[in-house]
This record gives sequence, structure tokens and C-alpha cells, in this order.
Amino acid sequence: MMFTTLELHRQKLVLIFGLAIAGLVANWLMGEPKNLSDIDWLDVIGEGGTAMALAVWMVLILGSRPAGRVTDLLTLGLGFLFLAMWQDSLDEFIRIPAEQVWDQWLESAAMPFGIGLLTYGLVHWHREQLAINRQLQKRERVFREHRLIDPLTQVGQAGYLQQQLVELLHGQETPSHNDQPVALIMADVDRFGDFNRRYGHREGDRLLVELLELLMLNLREEDLICRYAADRFAIVLPNTDLQKARQLAQELQRAVSAFAYKHKHSGESLYQCLSTGAASATGASAEQLIQAANQALEQGRMPASWTSESRI
Amino acid sequence: MKPVSIPAWYECDERFMAAHHQPALLIDLLRAMDISSHHILRGTGLFLEDVLAGEKQISQQQFAQLIRNACKLSRDPGLSFRWGAQLWPGHYGAFSHLLANAANLEDALETLVQYRHQLCPLLSPRLVQDDRYCYVQWLDVAGLGPQEYRFVVEAMTAGLISLARWLGKQKFPWRCIFSYPAPEYLEQYQVNLGQADGFGIGVDALMIERVWLRQTWSGGTQVAARIAQRECQQLSLACADHSFLELVYRILQRHVRNPLALSEVAEQLGMSSATFKRKLRKHNRQFQGMQDQVRFHTSVYLIHINGWNNEQIAEYLTFSDSNNFRRAFKRWAGITPSDSRSMVLL
Repeated sequence: MMFTTLELHRQKLVLIFGLAIAGLVANWLMGEPKNLSDIDWLDVIGEGGTAMALAVWMVLILGSRPAGRVTDLLTLGLGFLFLAMWQDSLDEFIRIPAEQVWDQWLESAAMPFGIGLLTYGLVHWHREQLAINRQLQKRERVFREHRLIDPLTQVGQAGYLQQQLVELLHGQETPSHNDQPVALIMADVDRFGDFNRRYGHREGDRLLVELLELLMLNLREEDLICRYAADRFAIVLPNTDLQKARQLAQELQRAVSAFAYKHKHSGESLYQCLSTGAASATGASAEQLIQAANQALEQGRMPASWTSESRI
Repeated sequence: MKPVSIPAWYECDERFMAAHHQPALLIDLLRAMDISSHHILRGTGLFLEDVLAGEKQISQQQFAQLIRNACKLSRDPGLSFRWGAQLWPGHYGAFSHLLANAANLEDALETLVQYRHQLCPLLSPRLVQDDRYCYVQWLDVAGLGPQEYRFVVEAMTAGLISLARWLGKQKFPWRCIFSYPAPEYLEQYQVNLGQADGFGIGVDALMIERVWLRQTWSGGTQVAARIAQRECQQLSLACADHSFLELVYRILQRHVRNPLALSEVAEQLGMSSATFKRKLRKHNRQFQGMQDQVRFHTSVYLIHINGWNNEQIAEYLTFSDSNNFRRAFKRWAGITPSDSRSMVLL
């Protein structure tokens, strides 16, 4: 992934590192090397290390962002900072005659110029992020943790769900919110295992991603959807009572049964059914709420032939 | 009858599994997650072309390395379950045909046991029945490390549940217990397996009431099963009956009441003590560890299935008194027999 986005920014990288090498050559030609005893190693480590860190940051930013104005600004800002620190550390090894001032210019002018570009870039990045947050609203609430994101569907995993519920249930210490219940819906696809066997796991993955999009379209602004495990999704509904949650769950079921998923190669329409279970809580813990919703789901679909004693 | 020249066992570096069967399914899942085959196959001595060509045979060691890589490369705790759900009946020629034409659950379980060297080559299923339940216990026969072991237990458990559901066309009320402590990703167990009834019990097993064993499955035909059975027998002629570790386990199990010394087991296997020790080391096992494991498994069975008290078990396993048994159990399990009793209610 990283290298595919780097490819988009080749020109910028060539420019910055080209300038760095040109600086090295210019220093080499016009200055004279210092004696080993004159070199201040602490400065070398400090300034050289900073230059290296700036270069790494620049590459990380380029490697993780699409092309665009914000990326250009951030890279050029960091690039000029890098050049300034680079010249600074070259100074430690090579003495430039005092009558030449270009190196001083490079050192002193590149730094504020870079900081200016970086700051301007960050302001735009902030605006861009606000726009992205609006797009992500039903996928994440308040808190971001990339290690808890499911790589297939790009929504939170069970760990993220747990964190969010804890936040919602225990964050409401203030009396005004206390009577507002939090509801949770667990939803999973009927016989998803059979679907995987019949059409293969790649097709199963595609189905999950498309179903997730569909479910999100049917949610309210403040709701949050997570992938609990396998084909089970968890939907957090703040300020919602059980009755409302059941109604929303039914809406989701209806949406899924009307959805004609198209097989990637044959184009065949494949219809699915969704099973849901809802639970609501004010005083309960996150685990209790999750367990209650799971139980509601399991109870709704347990075969009648199972005697009560065969499951304890 | 088997030809006399067939050795009594196979070892972990013997190449007898088709790389394009179960390993290929795992490789495909990882490749669908955009992981390069170079990383997936690192250290296994395999190339993707070999696997795809469909003629490469691999050993338990190579398979275990592939699983080690899978654990390291994938951030998805559901991977083992997804792999497991695809394992059976599978596309392994006659072995899969036989499994797919099983007349009922018991038939399917017996097929898995009989052709375990092809159908479950890393963990061997052991069937035990009492008057009410049938138990399927998983035994490590490849010398796996703890991480790979857990991965394969998850896969096999998911596999069996999924197979029964697919062929039996309904959910079965399985119950599962696990030897290791509860992992962080319990939700995977809950959703993929239905439920997990206990962790840290000491054995890895599924159990089901015996009434479910003989319910007829409508999908298969008897003729197809009989033809497949004959073909499987032919294909297995050149293959040893047991893996090395499995054979050692069986010998120890037979003498569980009066434990054998290392030299006695070596003698039964027809090798010197030094060779026996070297072979155990090759499989990442030690004699005392295996001896303890067999006695531990037996006491778990006696506690949970037979409901025996400490005195009875101490006497059965020839401990001098129940206190000695308690201490030994604590050493094996990390918990006392009474703690273990309170963990699952059968």
C-alpha cells in the first residue's frame, strides 16, 4: 500500500532529495573539511538526527496520503525544514569561507519558509479532516484507534465496540443524561457459512462489505456500527429505548431482505436474511449489554428441536 | 492387511500432505487479505507455483511453519475459524467424497478418525463415548508450538461444527472446551462456534449428546460412499497408521495406571533410549511432559465425565494418597481439582 501512494509523489521527492544532494556537493566544492578535533559531535547527532527524522516524516506523509494540495503543502513544508537542518549538520563537517553567505541564507531562510508552508498545510489538513469526519460519522465516534479497525469492512471491531459502550454508559454521570438509555442491536446474516461454501470466501467478503454499506444507509446520524465477529454486526444506538431499537432492527431486516446482491462474475441476484437481537440498558455494564443483545439474537433463531437441557 | 515394509509411524519431517489441499486454502485466505505469497511462504521451503501446480507434498513441520506465518501476518483473529469452516468435506479427492457422503454424524466422525493423516494431519481426533455423550478430543500429533496449536484447535473445532451443519442441514448443540485460557477475542468463539463452554480445562474437545450421532443425513448416497471408501483404503495402503507422537501417546495411555519409564517405551517402539529422546526432541516434546499430559487428560476425564473424587482418582492413577494427586494436578493444570470441577458443569 505504502509504495503505491509514494509513486504519486515522485517529483516532489526528487526535488527535495535533489536539493539535498546539490547542497552536499556545493559544500564540498566551496568549503574545506574541518579537522576531526573541531567537530562538535553533540551538534552532529542533534542536528543530523533532526534532519533524518524530518525526512522520515516527509516520506511517511507521502506514503499515506493521496495526491492533492494538502499533501503538497505538508511535504514542501517538511522538505524545507529538512533542507535547513541538513545544511546545519553539513556545517559541522565543512567550513564555508566567511565571504560566502549562501549557506547562511539556506539555513536561516529555509527554516521559516518551511514552517510557514507546514502551518498553512496543517490548517488545510484540519479542514479536510473535518470533512472526512463527517463521512466517517457512523463508523467511528469521538475516539479513533486504528488497531481496533476491521481491515475488511473498515469499521470498529469488538474491542472498539466495547470501548464505545463503556464511554456511553459510564460517561453519563450527569443526571440530565442518566435516564437516557443506550440500546444495542446485534445483527447477523442467516446461513452466511453456507453462502461462503457455495460462492467462496472472496464473494462472502464482498457481500459483508456491501451489506455494511446498506446497513449504514439505514442508520441515524448518531448511531455507530461495528463488526463484532465474522458476519455479526453490532449497532450502538445512543438515547434509544428498547421499543425504538426493535423498530430500527426490523427496518434493517427489511432493508436486507429487499437487497439483491449481485454475484461478481455471474451477476446472479442473491437474497439474504438478517437476524437481529436488541437490548437496552441504563445501569448495565458494557459486557452485560453485549451479552443481552447476543442472547436476544440467539433466542430468536434457536431451533425448536433443542431441548432446554441440551443448552445450559 | 498392510504390507510388512510399512513403518509403524510417520514423523514430522515426512512429506505426505498435499500442499494444494488444506495449506492452499489457508494461503488463499491470506492472499485475499493482500499479503504477498513471499511472506506467507517464508521459511516453509515452498513456492506458490509448486502449490498451484498441485503436485507438491509437504511435511507437518512445513505446514506448522505456514501456520506460524499466518498467525504473525494476519491481524484478523477470525482467520483460523474461517479457514476451519472450509476444511471439510474439502476437495481432497476420495477422502472428501467419503466425508461428503457420510450417512450421519457418527459416520463423518469415524471417517475423520480413520483418514486423519489426510483430513486432519496436525491434530488427531480421538473419539470417546459414554452412555450420554460423544466426545471428540484433539491431540497434537505434529509437535506444534502454543500459538499454532491454538490456531489449529480453533480451525478444527470450527471445521467440525461447520461440517455437521452443512451435511446435516441444521445446527447441532455442540459444546466445546479448551485447554488454554480464554483469549482476548472471545467474540470470535461466540459467533463462529455458537458458544465456548470453558477455557483452561486441560483438554481441547467437542461434545455432543449421542442422540445426534445416528440421525440420518439425506445428502449422501451409500453407493458413492462405498466406492470412495475403497479408494481411500487403496490410497492409504502406503501410509503408516500413526504419527510418532500419537503412537507414543497411545502407549502411555495404555499404561496410564502404572506409568512406564522412558526406556520401556523406547523398547516398545524398538529403538534405543537415546534415539527415542532425539525423536521426541525433534517433535518439540519431552518424555516427562508427555507422561504428565496423558495422566492429566485422564484425570480431567475422570473428574468431569465420571465425576470421581480425588481419592478415587488417586487410587486409579496409583498416587500414594489424594494429597499427592492434588499436588500433581495443580502442577499440571495450574489449578486444583476442585477449581477444575467448578469450571464446567456437565
